[in-house]
Amino acid sequence: MQHFIETINLTKTFGAKKALSDFSLKVDPGGIHAIVGSNGAGKSTLFRILLGIESPTSGAGYLLGEDSRSLPESVRGRVGYVNEEHTLPTWMTAQGVMDFQRAFYPSWSQEIFDQVIGYFDVDPKQKVSGLSRGERAGLNLAMALAQTPSVLILDEPTLGLDIVAKQSFLEALMFTETEYDSTIIYCSHQMEEIERVADKLIIMEKGHLVNNSSPDEFVQRVSYWVGEFVGDMFARDKMPGFLTAKLIDGQHHILVADQGPDFGQQLANMGASSISQSSVNLERAVNAFLTKNHKSPSGAYDRKN
Amino acid sequence: MINIQIVTGDSRPIFKQIVDGLRMEIAQGNLPTGTKLPSVRGLAMQLTINANTVAKAYAELTSQGLLEARQGLGLFVSEPRQLLSEEEQEKRLTGAVDAFANEIAYLEFSDQEILERVEAALTKLGKGAPENGTKRG
Repeated sequence: MQHFIETINLTKTFGAKKALSDFSLKVDPGGIHAIVGSNGAGKSTLFRILLGIESPTSGAGYLLGEDSRSLPESVRGRVGYVNEEHTLPTWMTAQGVMDFQRAFYPSWSQEIFDQVIGYFDVDPKQKVSGLSRGERAGLNLAMALAQTPSVLILDEPTLGLDIVAKQSFLEALMFTETEYDSTIIYCSHQMEEIERVADKLIIMEKGHLVNNSSPDEFVQRVSYWVGEFVGDMFARDKMPGFLTAKLIDGQHHILVADQGPDFGQQLANMGASSISQSSVNLERAVNAFLTKNHKSPSGAYDRKN
Repeated sequence: MINIQIVTGDSRPIFKQIVDGLRMEIAQGNLPTGTKLPSVRGLAMQLTINANTVAKAYAELTSQGLLEARQGLGLFVSEPRQLLSEEEQEKRLTGAVDAFANEIAYLEFSDQEILERVEAALTKLGKGAPENGTKRG
C-alpha cells in the first residue's frame, strides 16, 4: 500500500455548490498531517466521503487502500475519529464508556489508554455528564489512541479547551508511546498548535487543494513585499501569484505566492518605488492563502484604486 | 537541561530556532565539548513540539560538525571543527556582518566603541572554545 489516504479528482456537489472540486490528495503513512481551511472549505465533506458516510459526485477516495464506498470491516477497525464536540453518552461513567468501547476493538491497548488518560484528571467512577470539556476531550483521545488505529482523524480536537487542557492534549497526542505508528490527520485553525505539531501542512480552499508540504516549506512559498505606487498604478490583477495587499501609510504591503527574488524587479517594472522585502510567519502565510479570493474590506479598497 | 526557548508565530521556523539556540549555547560554553544532548523525544517533550522537528535540528547541527553521534550512546557536543566550506563560511560571515552593521547604523557610538564591544563579545565566546578564540585573533 502506497498511501494511507488518497483521493483522485474527488468532486462533491450539493445543489449548485461545489464542496470538493477535482480534489487529489495523497497522504503518506506516519506523521501528523494538519489540515487547514476556512469554514466551508470542504474538510468535513472530505472526511465524510473518506469514512464512507457520503458518496462522491465523481472521482474516488481511498482509505488504507480501500475504496471508501465499500470499506471492509477490517479497515473500519483501523480508523479512529475524534470530533470537536467530544460527544459521549452522558449517563455512563468514564469506566463504563471505556469498557463499552474496548469491546469493539480487538487491538485495544489498555496500556496506551492508561498512559493517555494519565495526562488528564479523570476519575473512572465519574459520570460523563460531570466531566469538563477538557476531560471529555482527554477521554476521547485516550479511547481513540487505545484502539491503535492506523489512521486517526482529529477534527478540531482542541476547540474550546482551556490552555491547560490544550497543553495536556497536545502532549498526550505527541508523546504517547505507541507500538503502531499512527498516521494522524489533524484539523485545526490554531496556527501556534500547527506550528508545534505538524509534519505536513495541507491547505484547502473552496474545495481545492492548495498546499501539501511541510509547514517550513509552505512559509517559503509566500513572500512579503512593500512598495509605493504613484496614483492608480497598483494593479493586483497583473501581479503573478498575488494573494493579498494592504495600503498602509501610502505604501502597498503585498503578499505573493511562489515568486523569486526577482519579484522586486517586476514591481519596479510596474512602476513601484521604495521596494523592500520582509519575511512572514506561518499564520500570516496561511491567512494570505485563505483570504485570497475572499470578500474582505480590501474589496472596498479595490474601488478606490 | 537545555536552556533554549522557542516561540511560535516567529518568521524563523521552530527547527531554525532550535539550531540557532543550541549553536549559541555551545558557542557560549554552556554546553562544553562532550556534553550529552537530551534524546530527540526528551527535547521534544521539554519544548512541546513534534519530535521530527528536533530530529531535523539535530541532523542539521551534526552536519555542521557541532554535534556527533556515538554509536548506541546518543548525541554529544563535538570538538570544535569546521565542516562548512570556505565559501559557505564567507557567505555566512558577510550575512552576519551586514545584519549587524544595519542594526547599529543609527546608534550614536563611535567606531572605536563599537569595535571594542565586538571584541569583548568575541572574547566571551572564546572562553568555551579557546582554539576558535586564537584563530580569530
